[in-house]
Amino acid sequence: MKRILNKDEIKHLGNLSGIQLTDAEIETYKKQLSETLDYMENINELRTENVPPTSNVSNLENVFFHDGGENKRGLAQNEALSNAKQKKDGQFQVKRIL
Amino acid sequence: MSIFGKSIVELTRLVQEKKIGKRELFEYFKKRIVKYNPNLNAFLTLPEYKEHVNHSSLLGIPLAIKDNFCTKNTRTTASSKVLDDFIPPYESTVTQKLLNEGVSILGKTNMDAWAHGNSTETSDYGPTRNPWNINRSPGGSSGGSAAAVSAYLSPAAIGSETAGSIRQPASWCGIVGIKPTYGRVSRYGVVAMGSSLDSPGPLTLTVEDSAYILKILAGKDPYDATSSPVPVQDYPSIMKQKKKFTIGFSDEYFEGVNEEIKTKILAALDIFRRLGHTTKKIKLISPKYAISVYTIIQRAEVSSNLARYDGIRFGNDRRSFGSEAKRRLMFGAYTLSYGYYDAYYKKAQKVRTLIIEDFKRVFSEVDAIVAPTCPITALKLGEFKKYPFFGEIMDVLNEPGAVAGLPAINIPVGLDSSSLPIGLQIMGKSFDEGSILNLAYQFEKETEFFGIIKKGLEKYKDE
Repeated sequence: MKRILNKDEIKHLGNLSGIQLTDAEIETYKKQLSETLDYMENINELRTENVPPTSNVSNLENVFFHDGGENKRGLAQNEALSNAKQKKDGQFQVKRIL
Repeated sequence: MSIFGKSIVELTRLVQEKKIGKRELFEYFKKRIVKYNPNLNAFLTLPEYKEHVNHSSLLGIPLAIKDNFCTKNTRTTASSKVLDDFIPPYESTVTQKLLNEGVSILGKTNMDAWAHGNSTETSDYGPTRNPWNINRSPGGSSGGSAAAVSAYLSPAAIGSETAGSIRQPASWCGIVGIKPTYGRVSRYGVVAMGSSLDSPGPLTLTVEDSAYILKILAGKDPYDATSSPVPVQDYPSIMKQKKKFTIGFSDEYFEGVNEEIKTKILAALDIFRRLGHTTKKIKLISPKYAISVYTIIQRAEVSSNLARYDGIRFGNDRRSFGSEAKRRLMFGAYTLSYGYYDAYYKKAQKVRTLIIEDFKRVFSEVDAIVAPTCPITALKLGEFKKYPFFGEIMDVLNEPGAVAGLPAINIPVGLDSSSLPIGLQIMGKSFDEGSILNLAYQFEKETEFFGIIKKGLEKYKDE
């Protein structure tokens, strides 16, 4: 199953990733991503029926932060805002939605 | 009192015995950075000296920190223009632990932007150069950290590895670097790349230094839910125990490897035998599958982790992403998207299980696995552009261990005919950093790494 991505798919991926692409970039990425996907096919040479997927190598389960425990690492409002380029009245300023 | 080339262990003794002052030591390295960094571009940010009063184990020791560790009030960029002016309002657990021990942060080191790469060439601030040959790459993504240590611009450095990013630059720069077991060291405050893979760790001139630093960094962190509750071993003392191990080596890890590198690894196995260890040929799943497993899982996690950079709360917006980041974001989105998730992401996770089980099987027969760290030595700058997924191809020998979360250490074992360092890796069982440090230490004591580290320092003497 050789996957060669087309222009529309690259544009769609650009949208999903929140990035804008020029036509030249679409062409370049189309080629590069297709080449990479092509190599990925080799995983189909290994049989995995009845093999469970691993998402967490440490096999830790249900790790909770103690409810009501002291949060030594909370940020004060001014700290949280310290890197924002647009702020107003102690809040982050974003584009109008409504 | 000559400081040049001294290890962390030696320097702490000198500070404790008041033979050098803390400030004096900091200024010594600062002076060397001013002299040599313009040519190497290992450092991006150099903070001012901060006085410490705690009488702790690493009091007064300056360290270089890879620029993906949030350092409070000191600019942190992950070598990306997106974070060009980001000043973290908080400290990463790793740097907090070091500060608690009296460390001074000497500087933030250059890296591949977002740790996406293996040559430090995807940095938005220019590549770092290999101190052994400035037309070559130091490896990556912890290239700045590796170059800083190799040229003694810092006595040791902190790096991070997702798959290869500590081991491979340590290999290309001829120094020691250890990637701990995933979960051994907290990721809190590290700019996230692959959340199921990222492992912070030290790069040093001696095995003992790595053991000391790792002991400080390791441990459960309530602020990193993926950090492990497994008790931390006393690495410096386990490292020195008189032990004999069974070492496995696999033909699959020699495929496609440069002949000169193969020769040095086989010679190293002879040395291990001479030291009384048993070597055993083992069979492992070919690393070529791990390239795919790693590429798919890592890029999927990257696409998720980089979603937070919207320029609203901090940093610049997504127009500032470089081309490698864009490539990985889109690839990750693809393999997670509707219709492709099962074929790629889920399949990769299943093959990940196969790789984990494969190592478990082998580790019931051997205590450690020896292999080359990288199939080649340092590439010329610019060559990475020939490959569509360079970073992942270069780390073929590191990816299987990485996706299984296993620890591994790189040690220098030779120079090739171009006088470039050759690295050997020792992979170990989960949370058994003690054994791989022990083996590495025995090798170091026996060979002094063939004088490689000393040779690397020759071009960078004080004047």
